[in-house]
Amino acid sequence: MRLILRNLGFYLLAFWASLTLNFVLPRFMPGDPVSRMFAQAQGTMQPDQIAQLRKLFGLDHRPLWEQYLSYIKSVFTGDLGISITRFPTPVTDVIGSQIGWTLLLGGVALVIAAVLGNLLGIVAAWRRGGVLDSAFPPLLIFVGSFPYFWLAMGALYLFGVSLGWFPMRHAYDVGLTPGFNGEFLSNVATHLVLPALTIVLVSIGGWMLGMRNTMIATAAEDYITMAEAKGLSPSRIMFRYAARNALLPSVTNFGMALGFVVGGALLTEVVFAYPGIGYQLLMAVQGLDYPLMQGIFLTITAAVLIANFLVDLVYVRLDPRVRVR
Amino acid sequence: MAPSIAPRRLRPALRAVTATAAAALVLSACTGGSGAAGAGDTSGNQLLTIPREDLATFTRNFNPLSPQAAPMTLQAVYEPLAVHSMADAKDTPWLATKWEQAKDGKSLTFTLRDGVKWSDGQALTADDVVYTFELQKKVLGGFDYLDKVTAVDAHTVKFSFNKAFSTAFYEISGHYILPKHIWSKVKDPAKFTNPNPVGTGPYTKIEKFQSQSYELRKNPDYWQPDKQQIAGIQMLAFSGNDSANVAFTNGEVDWTQSFIPDIEKSFVAKDKKHNHYWFPATGAMINWQLNTTKAPFNDPAARKALSMAVDRDQITKVAMNGYAEPADCTGLAHTYDKWRDTSLAASCTWTKYDTDAAAKALDAAGYKESGGKRKLKNGKDFTLDISVGSASSDWISVANIIKQDLAKVGITATVKTPDWSAVSSSYNTGTFDTGIVWSNNGATPYEYYRGVMSTKMVQPVGKQATEDYHRFGDKKADKLIDAFAAATDERTQREQTNGLQELYNKDAPVVPLFTGPEWGAYTDARFTGWPTEENPYATLGNRNGSTILVLTSLKPVKS
Repeated sequence: MRLILRNLGFYLLAFWASLTLNFVLPRFMPGDPVSRMFAQAQGTMQPDQIAQLRKLFGLDHRPLWEQYLSYIKSVFTGDLGISITRFPTPVTDVIGSQIGWTLLLGGVALVIAAVLGNLLGIVAAWRRGGVLDSAFPPLLIFVGSFPYFWLAMGALYLFGVSLGWFPMRHAYDVGLTPGFNGEFLSNVATHLVLPALTIVLVSIGGWMLGMRNTMIATAAEDYITMAEAKGLSPSRIMFRYAARNALLPSVTNFGMALGFVVGGALLTEVVFAYPGIGYQLLMAVQGLDYPLMQGIFLTITAAVLIANFLVDLVYVRLDPRVRVR
Repeated sequence: MAPSIAPRRLRPALRAVTATAAAALVLSACTGGSGAAGAGDTSGNQLLTIPREDLATFTRNFNPLSPQAAPMTLQAVYEPLAVHSMADAKDTPWLATKWEQAKDGKSLTFTLRDGVKWSDGQALTADDVVYTFELQKKVLGGFDYLDKVTAVDAHTVKFSFNKAFSTAFYEISGHYILPKHIWSKVKDPAKFTNPNPVGTGPYTKIEKFQSQSYELRKNPDYWQPDKQQIAGIQMLAFSGNDSANVAFTNGEVDWTQSFIPDIEKSFVAKDKKHNHYWFPATGAMINWQLNTTKAPFNDPAARKALSMAVDRDQITKVAMNGYAEPADCTGLAHTYDKWRDTSLAASCTWTKYDTDAAAKALDAAGYKESGGKRKLKNGKDFTLDISVGSASSDWISVANIIKQDLAKVGITATVKTPDWSAVSSSYNTGTFDTGIVWSNNGATPYEYYRGVMSTKMVQPVGKQATEDYHRFGDKKADKLIDAFAAATDERTQREQTNGLQELYNKDAPVVPLFTGPEWGAYTDARFTGWPTEENPYATLGNRNGSTILVLTSLKPVKS
């Protein structure tokens, strides 16, 4: 319990530090949202509109410390302000309407990649030098080292344009009404296949290699030899004895990755026109939309910290050594 | 050491897993693949499908006062008094049937069309027009010259100015008109999202609004029902050019204005009969802007010599894919061909590419070459930065070509490509060296010359400028610009424009490069009646003032 409390203290400190960074960093960027918008309009906007737009967006000219205090206050009251790039939608609405898709895509891809990758790693290490062990890691690393954009466009072209197996864009068909029914859910699932598949393809190699390497180290331990000598079944030794211990680093990685899922898969969203936080963040940065930028950064920070905290808890449960510090 | 025992019991399990996975893939493949729903639909009820490559998701905000209004708010829902087309420079009467300019240029009177109704059935009156401009001034400002807007009678509106300002016609006639009976009840018009808009446009009914698509259906009370030939418009959201272009070249959308590289091969060749594009030179003049607060850019001779070193043909051919038109020494984009002083344009010297002449001109102006390097008057090396936003790959190529050209006359240029926000902030405050910059693009050359030559637009370095980033002004130009704005007849305006062209040719306030093209491509498999080079009633842009002309000209293909 004391350990958890101490951890909690660290997390709160980290949260405050990142809140402050969130506040400071965007303000170091040159320019302001309105002149940015003006530059983008390239001659179609009237110059005298600029001052009015500044007024409309309520751009702050108060001293920094005052802005900082009201920012901290608004974070804890859940009021993140109004987005500029999607004016006049509140930031919480922008994030709320898209985070579901981000979590779905990122979560599904992460779980598939982690589970499959770890399984492959376990099996590859167990049968070292076998077909799986010699063919898969180089192949997966090869695929994973493709520029993601190229891979995704390739998959889109092959399975979407040429073969027509999967839909090419969006989270569900145009004109379909969202709802919890079979038709809608299966439509969402088919739209998920290509984007998730490409993310899995590029990330699975890392999971497999990581697992394989710790697994090899674990398999060399004396207690494995002991278990073999006792005549236990190979699969029992492999999963219950070796894999269980080799899994610890993977748990940490999974927790970290889970936190970053919230940030969205930017390139995936761009290629497959999938709704999500990633592209929104890009637009916010390009449009110098401070409120939205801060809102998204805050969500990501909170998610990473929470995921890490949970991993810490799980770790205490999984690895008794952590408890005695 | 590796465990050598093969887990034989695992094999069937693995096999089962792979089999299920494969089955799942095949299954989902059967249910999927309905992507191309709109393709080939020629029932007569097909929707005109338009992609937005710059919006990953839509917000249900049809408030034209909002800078982030949903697409088509200003094209299909609300309408202006008159429609100006950049393609043929014509003004088409729209909500107003005629207009008259006062002799002194200090007022403008519009006569509204009879029988125009809002989509809720109420009639359009002069009060709506008066209210719209009052609201616009209150919420967004602008229109400083506008003294008073009065409803003379139910069908006549008079705009009075505080000075003679005839070019106001384009700003006023092109402005959208809002219904007073709706907007006067809105508490905070700036933040109102107007989810179910009431407008006079042909397509005002919002249906099936979702974050990545929505439909606009017919306005039942439209004033020219014979021109509502298409059943409706469907907007689709994309998060980038690539995904939008895939849908377009695949025949799933009808009309796009996003940039398609190598369009002949990637689009037209796929279906020569139906796929077309047209990139008229109706955009703004793209200038190489030199910061005239810095030496040597404050010297017109240096500016002209630098201009001579630039190969505009190569820039338009290579960097702009052959889609742009090179500039001449009047600085006028091709949009303003009818204003061009052709005899002056024929005698241009400093916009003709000639490396030797450029080197001689630099020598003559006191920028001598020594040891292969051009020197400034203070003896330092002649070097300069060219800044362009990192997102504009075509303009970065333009800057690189300029860099190579300058090297031939001994000048070292550095192309700097930070994010556009950093670049534009250096333009605003005047801290940049040189840059590739767009110019104002209005119906007459007035906006262009005001933006590059008027002393009234010049801000001191450090203070925010919104035009004339290069900070050049000429009192003589001011007089001509003001006289142009005050003149009510085209003959006088032409005289002032000729004077401005002469001054421009003398001063070289900026280095004009090329007229920006307006991208536009379409497939006529499902709709016909598009504007073309032979019938240029509008441009193929789907976000400008002439878009309404396209929407009311298209006819669905029926099979």
